[in-house]
Amino acid sequence: MVAGMNAGLPKPSQVVSLQDIPGLRGMIVEADGAVRIAAMTVHAAVAAESRLAGGLAVVREAALQIAHPAIRNMGTLGGSLADADPNADYPCALLAAGADIELAGPRGRRICPVDAFFLGRFTTALAAGEIIVGVKLPPPALEETSTYLKFSRVDGDYATVSVAVRMGWRDGACTAIRIALGSCGGTPIRVPSAERALVGTKLDVAALRIAAGAYVAACDPPSDFRGTADYRRMIIPGLLERAVRNALNADRGIRS
Amino acid sequence: MSTDRTTLSFHVNGDPQAVAIPIHRTLLEVLRDELALTGAKKGCNTGTCGACNVLVDDVMIRSCLRLAVSVAECKVTTVEGLARNGMPSVVQQAFLDAGAIQCGFCMTGMIVSASALLAQNPAPTRDEIRIAISGNLCRCSGYVKVVDAIELAASRFRQGNAAEAAAMEIRI
Amino acid sequence: MNLVNVNKVDGAVGLTMSRLEAWEKANGAAIFTEDMVLAGMLHGALALSKVAHARILGYEISAALALPGVKAVLTGDDFEPRYMGLVVKDETVLAKSKVRYIGEPVAAVAAVDAETARAAARLIEVIYEELPAVFTIEQAVAAHAPVLHEDFDSYFKIYDASTRRTPNELALSTLRRGDIVQGFAESDVILDQVYETSAQYHAYLEPAAALASVDGRGKVTVWSSTQSVFRTQANVHESLGIPMSKIRAVSPRVGGGFGGKSEAMVQPIAVALAMKTGRPVRIALSREEDMTAMRSRHPVRTRIRTGAKRDGTFVARAIETWFDGGAYADDTAAVMNFALFFGTGPYRFDHVDLVGHAVYTNKLRAGAFRGFGNPQVTFASECQIDDLAAELGIDPVDLRLKNLVHAGDRWIGGQVVATSGLEECIEKVATASRWRDRAAKPVEAPDGKRRGLGIALTAHISGFLSTSAIVRLAEDGSVSLNTGAVDLGQGSDTALAQMCAAGLGLTVDAVNVVAADTDASPYNSGTNASRVTYMVGRAIGQATDVVREKMFKLAADMLECNLADLELRPGGFIGVEGTDHSVSFAQIAAKSIWFADGGGPVIGTGSVMHNEPLDPKHTLLAGFLSFDNVGALTFGAQVVDVEIDETTGKVDVVEAWCAHDVGRAINPGAVEGQIQGGFVQGLGYALTEEMVWDGGRLTNPSFKHYKIPSSLDVPYAIHAMIVEVADPLHPFGAKGIGEPPLIGAAAAIPNAIAAAAGARVRKLPVTPERMLRALRFGADGVDV
Repeated sequence: MVAGMNAGLPKPSQVVSLQDIPGLRGMIVEADGAVRIAAMTVHAAVAAESRLAGGLAVVREAALQIAHPAIRNMGTLGGSLADADPNADYPCALLAAGADIELAGPRGRRICPVDAFFLGRFTTALAAGEIIVGVKLPPPALEETSTYLKFSRVDGDYATVSVAVRMGWRDGACTAIRIALGSCGGTPIRVPSAERALVGTKLDVAALRIAAGAYVAACDPPSDFRGTADYRRMIIPGLLERAVRNALNADRGIRS
Repeated sequence: MSTDRTTLSFHVNGDPQAVAIPIHRTLLEVLRDELALTGAKKGCNTGTCGACNVLVDDVMIRSCLRLAVSVAECKVTTVEGLARNGMPSVVQQAFLDAGAIQCGFCMTGMIVSASALLAQNPAPTRDEIRIAISGNLCRCSGYVKVVDAIELAASRFRQGNAAEAAAMEIRI
Repeated sequence: MNLVNVNKVDGAVGLTMSRLEAWEKANGAAIFTEDMVLAGMLHGALALSKVAHARILGYEISAALALPGVKAVLTGDDFEPRYMGLVVKDETVLAKSKVRYIGEPVAAVAAVDAETARAAARLIEVIYEELPAVFTIEQAVAAHAPVLHEDFDSYFKIYDASTRRTPNELALSTLRRGDIVQGFAESDVILDQVYETSAQYHAYLEPAAALASVDGRGKVTVWSSTQSVFRTQANVHESLGIPMSKIRAVSPRVGGGFGGKSEAMVQPIAVALAMKTGRPVRIALSREEDMTAMRSRHPVRTRIRTGAKRDGTFVARAIETWFDGGAYADDTAAVMNFALFFGTGPYRFDHVDLVGHAVYTNKLRAGAFRGFGNPQVTFASECQIDDLAAELGIDPVDLRLKNLVHAGDRWIGGQVVATSGLEECIEKVATASRWRDRAAKPVEAPDGKRRGLGIALTAHISGFLSTSAIVRLAEDGSVSLNTGAVDLGQGSDTALAQMCAAGLGLTVDAVNVVAADTDASPYNSGTNASRVTYMVGRAIGQATDVVREKMFKLAADMLECNLADLELRPGGFIGVEGTDHSVSFAQIAAKSIWFADGGGPVIGTGSVMHNEPLDPKHTLLAGFLSFDNVGALTFGAQVVDVEIDETTGKVDVVEAWCAHDVGRAINPGAVEGQIQGGFVQGLGYALTEEMVWDGGRLTNPSFKHYKIPSSLDVPYAIHAMIVEVADPLHPFGAKGIGEPPLIGAAAAIPNAIAAAAGARVRKLPVTPERMLRALRFGADGVDV
């Protein structure tokens, strides 16, 4: 917003700051392991949260890769989600994490599952007068792992394509999986049917290729400075595969 | 244009300040135009170049993206506040000695970033240094000697007197 | 230089020291133009054209004038038609009767604050009669294309433009040697390829800015972010018709230029507003305005052919190159000519045919940018040579070594290559990169990646136009040095001080470097063309020679001895050899200014124009700028190691070795910094930077969309290797380094990519998408 004002765009008639509202910063791990991150928590704080591990590492990894350090000190989780930039990192990561978005407004509080929150480019399910107060992340199971893979043309840029994965893995097979694809349409997307088809498999190359095909078909990537729509479609399968591999190797610290 | 004005009270480099400003001014504009602290630069005014970096309550931020009114009662540190009695801070001296400074326009922001890094992490790896300055664009140096300078500052800081280091606080 | 008993104590030369002004840059005290405030100062803002090509029918400025706080509004109607430009005088202070690119300044406002000025600028309406426009070279040269400059023939030019064939061509130049038809006939192998480069933005961190003030006698002072106070003065003089005696151009600290601030843009406008309002006016462009309105590097399309014998001997080189100059000529003809001048690279070719076209289009003007046409053509040349190496089965380093130009050879145009450290450069980078080992046994890349090494050689000129220096002995025995050189941050103030100090046996802190000032400084064409260390250094050498000579004569008098018995001693003394009798510079100064037989103040001057006439017997030239006065040929070699991601096509530079012959490194640390910085700017040019137009609209005028390398996009190690083969004309043997490192990167990186990928992209930047398409489809063409 401030950048827009600096560029001479019309100023908003009023700006209300949330920075002094108590209870809107910080992260709590609840008894059952669910994690609640308050809306005004800055990206740097989330990026430093070692408690976001295993199935929740995807959220931390996304925060770590947003823009640059100074921006990470200023930008907030709530701000990013409300902005709903199709090329942003949090929406994709939270979609894979299966978050619930906590909203508050004149008519009280409500929960909106992340699957229903992003409606289009810069458009969310926030009603007039509502603000985001926090995000609740389902408790990570022991068998879970997750990762956020961001491909950009230079460091700190918006993603050209991003892939977020949260999955369970036991006895050499996938027990559950959520894959979110970002920067490939108005909102990040999942293809639940492709995800279901991966459950029970070894997440081998062939299985992942089929899943990737479904994501390529389902997405609606833009052509912009980072690449054409065609290019994005070309790289999605390889990046999806790489993201899954990274998640599987996460505990061994191996990334590609 | 808004003509609403307010008086902003805050601390800058250890001095209390109170300035009457239009409410939509950015912190960068207030520092440069009201307080003549022109060390922070307007390289892009959209938060992408890092030449405007300052510290607010010891946290590094983009002053061009921060509304001045939001730093009321806060402690702001600019590059002008890093030296003590005219003597370069450890980081500043290292930048001089490593030959990192060319045109200098990005360097005030770069030095603020480096200072913030070392205050938090006095023994950064080369990777951590590169990440810390990843939001500071430089067109002259190619970053090599800047990273060298920060490594030099870190090693000097660690070798220095512990009490002196503590007294240095964020200035590093 | 002929002097009695010259023994220069050159301790200050060869010293790595940080910039003289480094401390003020580190603590925020350094004053750049936008940091300056004068009493009563107004702020200027520009209204920029929203259409690409149109006649201006009128202006609606009443709303702007009525805004409270607005003190003046100027449009093209407020000015006589006066033209400025270094090579072609085709530009006016504001658009006059026509606009020719989206972003062209059409009006200017002065107001009490910047916000008001910008708001007023947005209220200005221009009534246009839109004209059809041309955005590509093809469109511009097509039959019946709309003409940008109908009065082109009447513009003053410093070259023969009569060779041009279509109305939008502004230059058509030819450089020939031998017989190209015969050359290709004698060749066993001929490669014929097309290479394209994109427009690059200078992206200096400090946007263009100027502050102008008029004093009680009507004299204008203009402070600006400029590469040349003399070009600023000339441009203000020519575009506004003010005599030079009434224009003083100075510069505070400058935050980078890279060629983009050699010629004017905001200064004449700031001066005009100051004159209109009677108050100082400061204009500072926003980043978006700077990208939209200033200038870019030329996008260029080059068809290149090389003919060689099967044993690798080069025989023939032909180039036809098209430079898209944008809407105004700026330095275009010179840039294109430079490209031709380096069309052979540092290689021997008996038969050469180089043709260059430069064309107007309705886009942002293109102008000088680090390399000045050379990066575009070296990219084509070095890549083709690698392809030739592959075709012939010869190692790329060996092929180059076989055909290298050597000292004593004649460059095209006849200039003799005075010195060349090129072989040493090649040997250094080949050894350091383990080139031979890796050719025999390539480094294994991890799964999904490819690795490769590439080499490129650079040939460039150090020097341009003319320059001068004044050295004065001060009463305390220190000296002041006045050269008119603007330090853009590349360290010239420091290097010049080092050379002056060395010439007199002084330490650097005994040299007062006077800031460039058209009132006080002798002429200096500007900080560009890698010329300052070389040319200003030569002028300083002349000046210090004179000062030494005068001081020796005075000392001989004071010490009552023969000149031949005297020697220069470090720290500002002249003494009798073998004794401890000496006099200090301060004593000599006192003698000179106080005593009847003192001869008056001790001043030395130097004046240099590089004088190597082109030899028409060696070259056929047509439509060419005179390059009689260019400079010393300088050479370098770079090897780059890249890794390519097979999934995304992203190219990462893993490591780089850059060896450059600088003659003599006056300040080795500063030379390293220039090599590393130039390499990274070249890395951006090669991999990520591209100005993108949609018709005439620049679509990415921001750092958000136009990406220059950050600290995480560069290799950990850029090995800067200094080679020194002394230049005979320079007092310390030094040559320049500003441009070559960028030229090398822009060619070595594509060669490394081709080696790694087994596929070549013939267009810069090699974006991930272009690379991926080349990997997948072997797309060898230029159409992505």
